[in-house]
This record gives sequence, C-alpha cells and structure tokens, in this order.
Amino acid sequence: MTRKIVVPGEVLAERPLRLNGAIVEGSKTCATVMGIFDDEKTLLIPLEGLWYPKSEEKVIGIVEEAKLNSYTINLNAPYKGILIAKFVRDPIDNNAIIEATVRELDKTGTVVLVRPRVLTGGKLIYVKPSKIPRIIGRGDTMIGQISHGTNTTIEVGMNGLIWMSGGNTDLATEAIMKIQEEGHTSGLTNRISSMLNLPASQHTEAHGAEGGNGARSEEKGY
Amino acid sequence: MKAKMDLIVNGKRLDGRGPEDLREIKITSNVIRNAAGSAYIEWGANKIISAVYGPREALPKHISDPDKAIIKCRYTMAPFSSLEEHGKPGMNRRAVEISKVTAEVFEDVILVDSFPGNEISIFIEVLQGDGGTRAAGITCAAVALATSGIPMRDMPYAVSAGRIGESVVLDLNKIEDNYSEADMPVAISPRTGNINLLQMDGILTREQFRQAIGMVKKAGETITRIQKEALIKPYQEIAEKYMEG
Repeated sequence: MTRKIVVPGEVLAERPLRLNGAIVEGSKTCATVMGIFDDEKTLLIPLEGLWYPKSEEKVIGIVEEAKLNSYTINLNAPYKGILIAKFVRDPIDNNAIIEATVRELDKTGTVVLVRPRVLTGGKLIYVKPSKIPRIIGRGDTMIGQISHGTNTTIEVGMNGLIWMSGGNTDLATEAIMKIQEEGHTSGLTNRISSMLNLPASQHTEAHGAEGGNGARSEEKGY
Repeated sequence: MKAKMDLIVNGKRLDGRGPEDLREIKITSNVIRNAAGSAYIEWGANKIISAVYGPREALPKHISDPDKAIIKCRYTMAPFSSLEEHGKPGMNRRAVEISKVTAEVFEDVILVDSFPGNEISIFIEVLQGDGGTRAAGITCAAVALATSGIPMRDMPYAVSAGRIGESVVLDLNKIEDNYSEADMPVAISPRTGNINLLQMDGILTREQFRQAIGMVKKAGETITRIQKEALIKPYQEIAEKYMEG
C-alpha cells in the first residue's frame, strides 16, 4: 500500500505532476488540501475540499432572485449561479429548488447554468463537496443503492447539495451522512447495504463493483 | 517598572523547562459544527479556539477585490481569559494589531487567486491566555484552515522566542513575557522556510537573533508534527474502527 494521508504543504513528488488539489513549485509537487495520495497511480483524493465548477456538471441550487432577464441562483459555494431567462420555458419562483447543468464559469466568477428543472417538495441537505464522488459511487452504485433501499428519488449536485423526495428520506440522509464521515474507509458499500437491509446478493455485487477501495469512484468526479 | 526577578535558576525556568523546551501542545480539529473548518488548541495554559468561514461573498461590496480573495481575521481575548488588562470584551488596540498581522500570515499561504471577489474569515478566540497567544492562535488557525479545505501552499506554525538575562529561550509564558528582556513571535511556513511573521519587543544582538530563529525552526518540526497528527487522527480513528471489524 502506497497510500498515505497528506496535509497542505506536504511534498508529494520531487517532479512536477498535474494533480487536482496540488501545485507545482520549483520542480516539486505539493499538496494544497488534505487528501489521500496514491503514489503508484499518482492520484490525490481530497478529503477536504471546495467545489470548482466544471462544464456539464449537474448542480442543485436555490433561486435567490428573479430579475428581468436572468435568475440568480445560490449554489452554496464561492460562486454565484446565473440562469438566463430566455433559456427558461416557464417562469421560476423565488426560493425554488432547481437542478441545472453548468455551462461555464465566466471571468467574473459567475457560473452560467443551463437546462434547469424545478424540484418541488422534498428535502435538501448539504454535504462536503469533496465527498460527492464517493456518495455517487462508481457507475452510480452507491447512490442507486440508497435510492433503491429507501425508495426515494435522489438528485445529487456536484456543489454538495442533495435533494431527495418520497420514501424514507430520514434513512437516506443517515446513509449519506455515514458516507460523508467514512468515505475514506474500505468496504463502505457493504456497510451501507446492510444498513438499508438490502438482500445479500446485492451485497456481494455492490462490493465487487466498489473495486479498489473506491479509488476509481473518487476519481470519477475530478 | 519591572520588578527584579530570577526567571532562570540552575538552567531551569519557572515551570521547570529548559531554555529550548516547548510547553505541552494539544490540538483537536473540527470542534465547531457550523464552521467550514475549526480547531482547538491547548498550548501550556493557553486555550484557544479557532474557526474559519468561507470563501463567501465579500461584504461590504467595496472591500472586495476582483482579482483575489480577501482574508479577514478577528483575534479577541475573552473577558475572562486573563488576569490583567484584557478584561474588556471586544476589540482593543492590541487585538486590532494581532488580527492584522495574523491575516497577513494567511494571505501569504492561502491560494487567494482562486476565489476572486470572496472573503475568507478567520476567527481566533482566546479562552485562557498565558503568553504567546498570537503564536498559538496562528498555529491553531492553520489547522482550522486545513480542515476547511481551503487550498494552502503551506501550513504555517508560529512560536515565540525571547531573551531572559543573556540567555535565549523558546516559547515564553506570561510571566517570562512580562519580565524578560526580549520577546519575538515568529511564524514560519515549514516547507519553504519563509518567515510570515516577525515581531519583536526588546533588544537582541545579531548572534542572539540567529540563535532564536534556529530554536524556532527546530521547535517547528515538533509543532508541525502535532498539527499533522491533529488533522489525520479523526480519519485514522474511523478507518481503524472498521479495520478491526
């Protein structure tokens, strides 16, 4: 095992590497956030981190203000979201929860959103954005399992907001919070499925899909 | 007026430490649920809690910088924290100064360019003070920032060095601070060795200054190790729990 937990400022390699959550200074690569560094795969999985918008990512936000030709969206992030009104078919009310796709991050630090969909009712929770890839799981296994086990509809935004509706949302919240806390441990898919009382056959299948300690699933979102 | 007092007897200081010894340091990370990051430090008799919020929209709007994030720092001593002059709650001349220098330490290490127009707020509250609170506060706030996920070039530490009589000593407590000849808090980025903060009360010769900086850098290895342990420990505990099972 060449995995170790690194802290900001720790030298990861004596050569320049292009990594998320790391900077190159001189000829060295240094971590800028806490994370698990895999030496063999040269992969830094952030344990703590903020959300950086990327195009075509799905986010969840709350409509802050409906202006004449745009909507401002609160994304619970350092970036403000904006939705151009001419791309919206039906008018959206203030304080509505929406799911949208990121088109781009413009130069002023505003996230331009497209393809909005209003989410009515339900429950909105916030988790650390660095844990979202683990919550989704490799090939959506983890979130599919929670959705299936609690009979809820779940929409996950890469900015850390999760919306859910119908079914046992309390159990789903509990499962998501458990993933947030224990995301860096192995065999988590197994523990979540036993928590949700899913049949044993799905146990092994889900565990197999998790693969190498969830490293691939972590990689997915970055 | 300083009273005459023997602060070093037979090479031992008032609390039994040698000249190069640190006080005992304990750091706990993630102590405040609502904050983006937080930490609590016990450095000798100092008890300090630190919390970080942000990056969030810089308000009022006119203070925001379109090129980078601004760092706001608020250092305060609780009214019950100390015996003497720190009895008044809120900001005073000393608190304003320490807040300013602390914010400048973190401006150097945080990747502020990544968050234009935003602010990052660092709060340092001294619950019990016993000398060297600004150094302990910086050490604690660095851990709080690391738990918040805000990207940093380095995780700085700070400690003070000083002079009692003719001997250079490390990590002065309140009595030593009040009656010593010099007191010099230093904050350093351990990876690069950059000095982020250097203040001094009193007088040191060049040789004593070099000796003091050497002591600080040596002590930094211990402080950095304690900071890292505080950050890694919660993750390791959870991992170990399931390793056994």
